[in-house]
Amino acid sequence: MMIPRILLAATALMAVATTAPAQTVTLRFWDNQQAESGLSIYQKEAVQRFEKENPNIKVDVTTVPYPEYQQRLLTAVQGGNAPDVATLDQIWIAAFAKAGVIEPLDARAGAAGITSATFFKGAWDSANYDGHLWGIPFNVDAWSFTYYNKRLLQQAGVDPQSLLTWKGLAAAGKKLTGNGRFGIGLFGHKGEDTTVVLDSFIFSNGGKVLNADGSCALTSPQSVAALRYLQSLVPYAPRGILNAASGDMRQLFLNGSLAMEFWPALEQPTLLKSKLDWGFVAGTAPAGKTPVGTYGGWNLAIFKSAAHKDAAWKFIRFLTRTDVNGSVVDLIPANIAAAKTFLAGKRRGPRRILKYLEDAAPRPLSPRYLEVSNIEVTLAQDVYSGKDPGAAASTACAAIDALH
Amino acid sequence: MKRGRWLVFLFVSPAVILVGVLMYYPMIGTVIDSLYATSFIDPTPKFVGLSIYREILTSIDFAEVVRNSCIWTAGVVLLQNVVGFAFALLLDQRLPGRALMRSLVLLPWVLPGVVAAILWRFMFDPQLGLINSFLIRLHLSGQGIPWLAQTSTALPAAIVAAVWKGFPFSTVVYLAGLQHVDAEQIEAAIIDGAGQLRRLFDVVLPAMRELIALNVILTTILTFNYFDMIWVLTRGGPENATNIFPTRIFELAFGEFRFGEGATYGVFSILVLTLLLALYAAIRRGAERKSAGA
Repeated sequence: MMIPRILLAATALMAVATTAPAQTVTLRFWDNQQAESGLSIYQKEAVQRFEKENPNIKVDVTTVPYPEYQQRLLTAVQGGNAPDVATLDQIWIAAFAKAGVIEPLDARAGAAGITSATFFKGAWDSANYDGHLWGIPFNVDAWSFTYYNKRLLQQAGVDPQSLLTWKGLAAAGKKLTGNGRFGIGLFGHKGEDTTVVLDSFIFSNGGKVLNADGSCALTSPQSVAALRYLQSLVPYAPRGILNAASGDMRQLFLNGSLAMEFWPALEQPTLLKSKLDWGFVAGTAPAGKTPVGTYGGWNLAIFKSAAHKDAAWKFIRFLTRTDVNGSVVDLIPANIAAAKTFLAGKRRGPRRILKYLEDAAPRPLSPRYLEVSNIEVTLAQDVYSGKDPGAAASTACAAIDALH
Repeated sequence: MKRGRWLVFLFVSPAVILVGVLMYYPMIGTVIDSLYATSFIDPTPKFVGLSIYREILTSIDFAEVVRNSCIWTAGVVLLQNVVGFAFALLLDQRLPGRALMRSLVLLPWVLPGVVAAILWRFMFDPQLGLINSFLIRLHLSGQGIPWLAQTSTALPAAIVAAVWKGFPFSTVVYLAGLQHVDAEQIEAAIIDGAGQLRRLFDVVLPAMRELIALNVILTTILTFNYFDMIWVLTRGGPENATNIFPTRIFELAFGEFRFGEGATYGVFSILVLTLLLALYAAIRRGAERKSAGA
């Protein structure tokens, strides 16, 4: 009896000794922070939860402020020091894919049963380029909601619902401008916020930035009409449009000298903290047309140089899960089910936001998007400074077509 | 003797290696990159010789960048040196609270560049800015002027901000210089009946000639390379009205992922700076010879 027990104990001991503990891997994850949301605290909690669920994976999180993120990431990639997994702006996906620095995720997504149905269509589209899936949508938002100062609109007798049409918005702008106040917060500095607002007006009139073949579509009648309309709003905007950013308009809106500003839903936490009595409508379009916003947001991608691709994929699946996605983003979760819960708890007008997100369109999926965007900024500045919109669009198209 | 020479090489070599690796390697790399068509999306370098140079030299953007860089550098250097010298003269007088004033004048210079730029962005704001508020109160303008949003005023406004930020550097340099002007020469000039202006032009300025030349060259180099002020104020806009070499290089390389063209702009920048450094070295050598001769 004693011998078998000893044998059993010895066998058990040998089994323990020969089974090496599974190797712990450290995953390097980079993200950026856009709002003062204390996001990093929530991310830390989520990472702890992930590490608990996956004891063999440690996550090293690097959170970079948004203005520095692109430069830091690019430098890391060029220096061969890319993270394993990172959030990539929707507008970078095509360039990173073309450069061959990120992994196609079709096979992994297919095997895991991840489909477009889980995410907002525009967000899913933004992760696809050249017939492949390069990222999993992480968070989204859309430019731009029209936020308005309720008191100023009431005083001027403006019905907020009228802002949903171009005619109503222009009329409200006219009524609300004067006595040191301004109606509409147009901005046209060198920045991506200038481009996304311009795009939303073009999209809402049925126009496009690029055609399917990559050629410029800004000279189409719909696009030029949108540019002409934007130009007509200039008299109702604060002075200095060409160097003004969305942040400058926010300051004027918060101090009561601007009646309406264009921002994505991301603006709500700031407004909720203020004493301002505000409301919003989801975009604006010509009468009879649906307002189409411009998609913004981030996708999660795995770098080709990643040492732990399987662990990275596990982490992506975790972050985009319905029960996790809402607690690790400062925009809106890209996972529709998570977004519904998130919006219901954290944003005013969740249904309007959801509808606007469903209708929104992504910016052109071109590897040379950043150059296209800079050309669009010049176009916006030309239009806001009074140049003929048709001629300005022709100049922009000549520059865009010369890229290809 | 031979051993001593080896020791010299041994002690000097770490510095030489560091300078070579940290300064000359990237610089040579930039020159090589400028001969290749390479971007983030097309990372395989293709040798194109001088074709990027030809493209850039004939582009409107380049002409604008050169023009802006010349106006920016000349404007900032001239005003910074004049204002800096004027403050140095003032602080060289026996005034009450001189020590405190000498400390306070340094404030703009010790402020981080980005903070100073944000401060001036607020000052120039058409709606909320202090400058427009003054102009309106003094009835010099009926409404706020969008200083940074007009192509005609953006660069001059940026120059004013940069002069404010940089003049204390010149003040400190010139103040040190003023304290080394031969007191006997000034006394002799006073005995000869020379007034203050005469003393300034006939005694002080000639005595500080080399120092002024050195400071002008140094501030030219610093201003030509000055990135953060313009980037925070205007990002090179509106249109291209304030785009200078550093902002254009950043825009191309990091804003549009066009490394080859960014490198080519970088080479032009290096050429200008090399010329300025050669001038600086020549002036220094002349000054050293003069002091050795004296």
